Amino acid sequence: MNDPGQTPIADLAADPLEPRIRGLFAALDHAGELAGAAAPGREIRGEAGREALGTRVCFALRLLEGRIVAVRYRAYGCPHTLATCEWLARQLEGRSLAGGALEAPGVGNPLEWSERLGLPGAKLGRLLVIEDALRAALAQA
Amino acid sequence: MSDPIYLDYAATSPVDPRVAAAMGECLTRTGVFGNPASQHVFGRRARARVEAARAQVASLIGAPAAHIIWTSGATESNNLAILGTARAARARFAGRRQPHILTSRTEHKAVLDPCRRLEQDGVLVNYLSPDALGIIDPQQVREAIGEDTVLVSLMHANNEIGVLQDIEAIGACCRERGVPLHVDAAQSAGKVPIDLSHAPVDLLSLTAHKLYGPKGIGALYVNPQRRAELQPLMFGGGQERGLRSGTLAVHQIVGFGLACELCAEERLEESRRVGALRERLWEGLRSIGETLLNGHPTQRVPGILNVSFPGVEGESLVAGLTELAVSTSSACNSDSDEASYVLRALGRDTQTAQSSLRFSLGRFSVDTDVDQAVAAVRREVARLRAVAP
Repeated sequence: MNDPGQTPIADLAADPLEPRIRGLFAALDHAGELAGAAAPGREIRGEAGREALGTRVCFALRLLEGRIVAVRYRAYGCPHTLATCEWLARQLEGRSLAGGALEAPGVGNPLEWSERLGLPGAKLGRLLVIEDALRAALAQA
Repeated sequence: MSDPIYLDYAATSPVDPRVAAAMGECLTRTGVFGNPASQHVFGRRARARVEAARAQVASLIGAPAAHIIWTSGATESNNLAILGTARAARARFAGRRQPHILTSRTEHKAVLDPCRRLEQDGVLVNYLSPDALGIIDPQQVREAIGEDTVLVSLMHANNEIGVLQDIEAIGACCRERGVPLHVDAAQSAGKVPIDLSHAPVDLLSLTAHKLYGPKGIGALYVNPQRRAELQPLMFGGGQERGLRSGTLAVHQIVGFGLACELCAEERLEESRRVGALRERLWEGLRSIGETLLNGHPTQRVPGILNVSFPGVEGESLVAGLTELAVSTSSACNSDSDEASYVLRALGRDTQTAQSSLRFSLGRFSVDTDVDQAVAAVRREVARLRAVAP
């Protein structure tokens, strides 16, 4: 339950999902598998987490000429997990691998994702699972 | 955007408009606003309404009106029954023995938390495990009662899965061993028959807001033969025969009384109708595929359906069902993303427990609510399963 007096009154009746998270969660356009095995480039994959612990994330990235040309993911988890996967997929597509995709401006680390998306602090553990899955994929780049 | 379809009657029910109208008669200067403890006419009028309501509540459970104690709701009733019994037992035992209480792993937190508090004070508490369908075998109770058992506390209908315990058989075991039985009937009163003129129950908790009455009012039935084994938790005024001090909330009590009377009058037809809606809902959800019903298929209250959707995370499912008001677990637990302890006690694994939704139907539910709910769940389950690894 909310601690009485701790949550602004105006927020109590609002959707518990921030509008940005709600929008991403409603449009998981990058969920699924990379299309076309015959497509040019190389596919790398990484996964982390377990359903039994509440979060499991798998990323698939297609690389071509030093760039990430396509990103797809599959995820089991809370709305914030799914929304963050979708946001990251959108952020990563088109990025260069030079210097590390996660270190590129606009991507960053789980703390930055949390800040940029306005996620509750309690969700940080789930973001770490997402980061592990992405790093596992990028380690093959 | 219109309000979502309300399928969370087990969390709370809207007040019946007839009840709200009766409550409105007890608030303002021209109504019955007096303090029932006052001796003047305003007080006497209020007292008359309070006693009429006491009779209405008692009638719903087949008990004499004098055996009903007003409380603020089932949580207080449960605390009074458990802590009050333990307090009296400790006084009787005078440190020579430790009282023992028997309950189950699937009780509401309003029973489990006072029991855990008593454990910190040295009271022994045993938590019975139900079978995979949520049923406590009366034989388990018989075998677990010991020399120092001072109370058995088991709920009638489970708030998450709706399964009904056989309180008559359990009560018979308790009577055999001379141990009082406390029953939390918050989810069953007004939904299924309760007749304390036959059922061997000594303490029974009720609340108004699950049966179309207001929040903030409840009752504890106390068998007068067990009155001496119960000590009050609140002092100051001596109301309710010294068991629950505090000025009586006449409007709440009047609302509770009428809500009980309406349930008594309409229960048969309403249970049939709501039970049919629940079956329609289950058939629709089952057709989605890979759905699991949690709890006994028939030994249950009419309005509660708990279903797991393996492979679908419960919080995401609820978040996606913007057109429905349902719970991932009991309302008191819904801020937590931990798996339901009730479903875990039934043997469901963590993931299956996390993938469960509780749908609860009630007086104002209609066919189209159910059909829209099935369509929404079908859409969202398919979407989330398609996203899952």
